[in-house]
Amino acid sequence: MKRIAVGTEKGAYLLEGSGSSWTVDGPMFPGWKVTAFGQARDGSQLAAVGSNWFGIGIHRSRDFKEWSELESAPSWPDGEDRKMEQVWTFHGDGDRLWAGVAEAGLFTSDDGGVTWDPVPGLNEHRTRADWGPGFGGLCAHRVLTSGDRIWAAISAVGCFRSDDGGATWEPKNEGIPAVDSADGGERPEVGYCIHGLAHDPAQPDRMWRQDHLGMFRTVDGGDTWERNEEGLPSGFGFVIWRHPGTGRLLTVPLHSSESRVPVEGRLRAYASDDGGDSWGVAGEGWADSPQFTGVLRGAFDGDESGLFCFGTTGGKLWLTEDGGDSWRELAPAFPRIGAVRLVG
Amino acid sequence: MSVQVRLPRVLTDTAGVAPRHEAEGTTLGEVLESLFAGAPGLRRHLLDEEGRIRPHVLVFVDAAREARETTVGPDAEVQVLQAVSGG
Repeated sequence: MKRIAVGTEKGAYLLEGSGSSWTVDGPMFPGWKVTAFGQARDGSQLAAVGSNWFGIGIHRSRDFKEWSELESAPSWPDGEDRKMEQVWTFHGDGDRLWAGVAEAGLFTSDDGGVTWDPVPGLNEHRTRADWGPGFGGLCAHRVLTSGDRIWAAISAVGCFRSDDGGATWEPKNEGIPAVDSADGGERPEVGYCIHGLAHDPAQPDRMWRQDHLGMFRTVDGGDTWERNEEGLPSGFGFVIWRHPGTGRLLTVPLHSSESRVPVEGRLRAYASDDGGDSWGVAGEGWADSPQFTGVLRGAFDGDESGLFCFGTTGGKLWLTEDGGDSWRELAPAFPRIGAVRLVG
Repeated sequence: MSVQVRLPRVLTDTAGVAPRHEAEGTTLGEVLESLFAGAPGLRRHLLDEEGRIRPHVLVFVDAAREARETTVGPDAEVQVLQAVSGG
């Protein structure tokens, strides 16, 4: 039996089952936006919630059914003009948990999420005054780690890398077009709208990046990026996900920054089996009818068994259980989906 | 001086706290601090980073919307409400 956690604008839901038989439990956290799921090293599950009225919170569970709110959560120091709007991502690395948040910043916890410390090397970066929000806000939405080398993706700002465990950070966006720079103008140090980031844990400097302005990859940890979007109907989208076993890359292209729905309503996951050299529609089973809906960066997950699942802004779930060869839409409908996580 | 504090269900259900609390204080700010002493997680949900009542949270004392500096009389009832907005 598989379990899929779904975070929506109105609560979280847990799907359990396989094949054509899935049960739905929820809503958990009724009335709250559920923005990210994570897992502490002791196996406990974490869910980040947010509210337009009551700020953010982090809840912990052993069974994904009974939850308790942790007393603390990432927070900016008292008196700050920065607002803690949302936890966008959790990333576990050994005993350390990372959280990426909006207003953009990173926090770490070494006690399973009970207490959180800011990462000043990034949060107070020398370029911080030049950070500006994109359409989705000013958010740190992805963290990847490999030993002391750490990457952070900040929307509308760029990719940052630390080579000293998070003490110091440098922007890593060479080869990426800046969102607002005029042709021929001097390249700004920040202002690169990274939407998604994935890497090969066995060769962590091999990375793929879904950017506002295209799909890119690097083989040197982000020092230089090159475009790789042959076969994609559009370079725009939010998702980039890599299967840890086969190396298959998956994305869900959307038409453009302006429309943010699939080209001609043809909702499809696209896959690359050659490291991004070429892309094609992943498998079969896609709807014939137009699907004018989006897929957000946190709403795609998968496991080694070949179960991949993504949720849409229209509140539907699509999944494959054979590594992307055959897809189907599940029957239940949910509020707008922003987070999907396969729960171990 | 003891006052009654009532919290909205959308907050109490998720935060795991009771909907009614006994709190102490002679100003609304003191009452809230007394409330937070027993339920620390509520501070983050009711106050912003600058210590102000969140913009979409309304706090009433005996049915009148009040600020933190408001004096709270004996046997007052403090009610926290969320703004009703959104789909």
